[in-house]
Amino acid sequence: MNANESLEFAQTQVARASLDHCVKCTICETHCPVSAVTPKFTGPKFVGPQAERFRHGESVDHSLDYCSSCGACTLACPQGVKIAELNSQARAVMKADDMPLRDRLITQTTLMGMAMTPVAPVANAALRIKPVRTVVEKVLGIHRDAPMPHANTQTITGWLKKRKKPATHATRGTLIFFHGCAGGYFEVETSKKSIEVLEHLGYEVLVPKQGCCGLAEQSNGLFDGATDKVLKLCDELRTSGRDLTIISSSGSCTGMLKHEAHEIMGVDDVRLADVGTRIRDIMEFLLELYDADELPTDFKPIELTAVYHAPCQLKSQGMGQPAMEVLKLIPGVEAIESGATCCGIAGTYGLKKEKYEIAQAVGKPLFDKVKEVNPEIAYCDTETCRWQIRKGSGAAVEHPIFLVHQAYGLS
Amino acid sequence: MTRVVVIGAGVAGLVASIRLADAGARVALLNKGTGGLQLSQGTIDILGYAPERVERPLEALAGFAQAHPGHPYASLDAECVGTAAGYLKDLLGPALLVGDPAVNLQLPTAVGAIRPTALVSPSMTAGACVDGADFVIVGLRQLKDFYPELVAQNLARTEPPGGGRITARSVMLDFPARDGEIDSSGLTYARALDDPAYRRRFALAVKGVVGDAGTVGLPAVLGLDDHGAWADIAELIGAEVFEIPLPPPSVPGMRLNRALTERAKSAGVRVVPGSKVTGFHASGGSVRSVSLATAGGAREFVAEAFLLATGGFESGALHADSYHKVHESVFDLPLRIPEGTLVHGDYWGDPQPLFTIGVDTDENLLVRHPGGEPVHNNLYAAGGILAGATRWQEKSGEGIAVASAVRAADAILSVAATATSQGAAS
Repeated sequence: MNANESLEFAQTQVARASLDHCVKCTICETHCPVSAVTPKFTGPKFVGPQAERFRHGESVDHSLDYCSSCGACTLACPQGVKIAELNSQARAVMKADDMPLRDRLITQTTLMGMAMTPVAPVANAALRIKPVRTVVEKVLGIHRDAPMPHANTQTITGWLKKRKKPATHATRGTLIFFHGCAGGYFEVETSKKSIEVLEHLGYEVLVPKQGCCGLAEQSNGLFDGATDKVLKLCDELRTSGRDLTIISSSGSCTGMLKHEAHEIMGVDDVRLADVGTRIRDIMEFLLELYDADELPTDFKPIELTAVYHAPCQLKSQGMGQPAMEVLKLIPGVEAIESGATCCGIAGTYGLKKEKYEIAQAVGKPLFDKVKEVNPEIAYCDTETCRWQIRKGSGAAVEHPIFLVHQAYGLS
Repeated sequence: MTRVVVIGAGVAGLVASIRLADAGARVALLNKGTGGLQLSQGTIDILGYAPERVERPLEALAGFAQAHPGHPYASLDAECVGTAAGYLKDLLGPALLVGDPAVNLQLPTAVGAIRPTALVSPSMTAGACVDGADFVIVGLRQLKDFYPELVAQNLARTEPPGGGRITARSVMLDFPARDGEIDSSGLTYARALDDPAYRRRFALAVKGVVGDAGTVGLPAVLGLDDHGAWADIAELIGAEVFEIPLPPPSVPGMRLNRALTERAKSAGVRVVPGSKVTGFHASGGSVRSVSLATAGGAREFVAEAFLLATGGFESGALHADSYHKVHESVFDLPLRIPEGTLVHGDYWGDPQPLFTIGVDTDENLLVRHPGGEPVHNNLYAAGGILAGATRWQEKSGEGIAVASAVRAADAILSVAATATSQGAAS
């Protein structure tokens, strides 16, 4: 499928048929985190199945741009209407002719990592300078207070090259690890710990050279670039073995591969279908092992009470909250479910100057809960959400694999 | 520890999951979307019409069951229903549910009809339609789902069930839920009213328009998470206050749904929302696992017992094709289907036979071939999927759901306990 076909799919196809299943029960409305905090967004039912009936090309309801694509509506809909997918498609069509430069830039996550890593201290410092951020806001429309990643001096590839290979022999077979761009450049520690946990369990872990999944471009309606990226990534992941399970510690990117590229952009390609069915979120994988009585539970106790927040794009994979179940197995750990639908950032949504306030309001109950339960530390599976929660609550926010790593005595 | 998969997160699925998990079972609650409880009025119906209006539902149950031999209440008797209703009351606590399952309250609806129901939110009891009731019904200009004139005029011209007369008048208040919004949902008001400062301004504005006479009827938007908001408002107004449920989004329904879902999670239930069960594996007379169609492919959920709590036609649990052939959508179970025409043309007349279609069970809610042997030895059913009831007309939905959920859960636990003791003995 080429770029034009993706957009044509968004104009005409499949998910639109599901709107006839809508019975106007309003369940989606009650789950929408955006319309809860602003009247600027008329809500998933109005913008979705209702406005969709009048759409001939472009949507008639431009408040559509305020949808953050968190997917809570689709997840909650008991009638199977693909509300979030409809809205993402309609937005891509609406923005096609006047895509802001900003949206083209902030979606280039790999580029950002490549540019920042060699000059990490400088980049980090620059992002802390108010006047710099003010100029960026004025010129590009990225809000001056929006959370930014913290660049690392070492990439995951750098670490893999330099580290000592695990001494023990793999007894459980081989896995492929997908770290995502954030896990490659910014949240490197999450990738390291994930690999070490898998090796501790007895797996050999292969980490092929890999690019971006294209999620940020997809959610900004840049379907052409996103389609190219996701298929390139599928090729890269497939080079390491055709039947191996792929493990990811990047909650949202996993969703792009499992269903979003196919359902939102209509990418109908055997390579994507293959990777999408082989990939597992790392906590999902650990829980599957546990359900099969194959997960060692010789966890060392950790005395800790902290909030766990399941990202919207992890929940939208329809598997519940595997991390909550895994964390229950560690003695002493009391993970308090955040209860929040979304942290507000929704990928790049909360970076934009016209949406920053909304994103902060969406995240506020979550930030408050973190401050109340444990202001030092909280847990969350997706990188951009961690940046948002760190910024909003002041707590360190880590991937739940950190606790598993520690409980196995690896840190 | 026995593993149980519950399919469907309406009131039946939630109550069964909690009861099972509290007793030590490892429960996975699978649902393809939010359950119907949140669309409900936040009340628990047991029996409202049999077909005449019912005032004492538990007393009426035996006679009703005799007249309807295939009805779920033929097996779930008054004692079972009363106990189950009490169990639900305890789960939710007096801030969310009060009343006596033996006595129906008669409450005003959003069109000013009088509806019988058994357990209610404490915020609704002052609306009981009895002789001499004196109501002032307050509408909100920005809330388009509630017309106070309609409610007041209908109540004033209707003789309450116990005889006598109700006095009712209406006022409309111009009070936005949030700035710049001229059309707000009840939920937007409820969220605003969780904030004590907004609540105070709201209550004083209501006080300003109602004067000092009568009991104040308001749309059921008085707080979502703060279950004491309505009482606070009543105190600020200085009058008795009651909530009248609205069409969805139903705030009282959301309160119950949220509370039970939270309760299930804290009991250890693994809740998996947003995916559909699309298949199952059975062998040796038992269901071994169900397949859940998550993003990225099917995942198997293995268990010792399965509870089907998927609802009826409204949720897609039952599906009629264009030939009126009806299917059960998860296990393709045999259904109890009445003889003759399923849908007749007199839509305001007798109940439609179609709605009595459902699965047949034994007294422990084990699904069986209609009148015959169990289909699988570990597949149970509860709630709207059960055959024999016209729930919306009888106003029997929640009563059947809660009673069948409790009995099915207890049956599953008792089988597990027997298996454990046999395992220990051998």
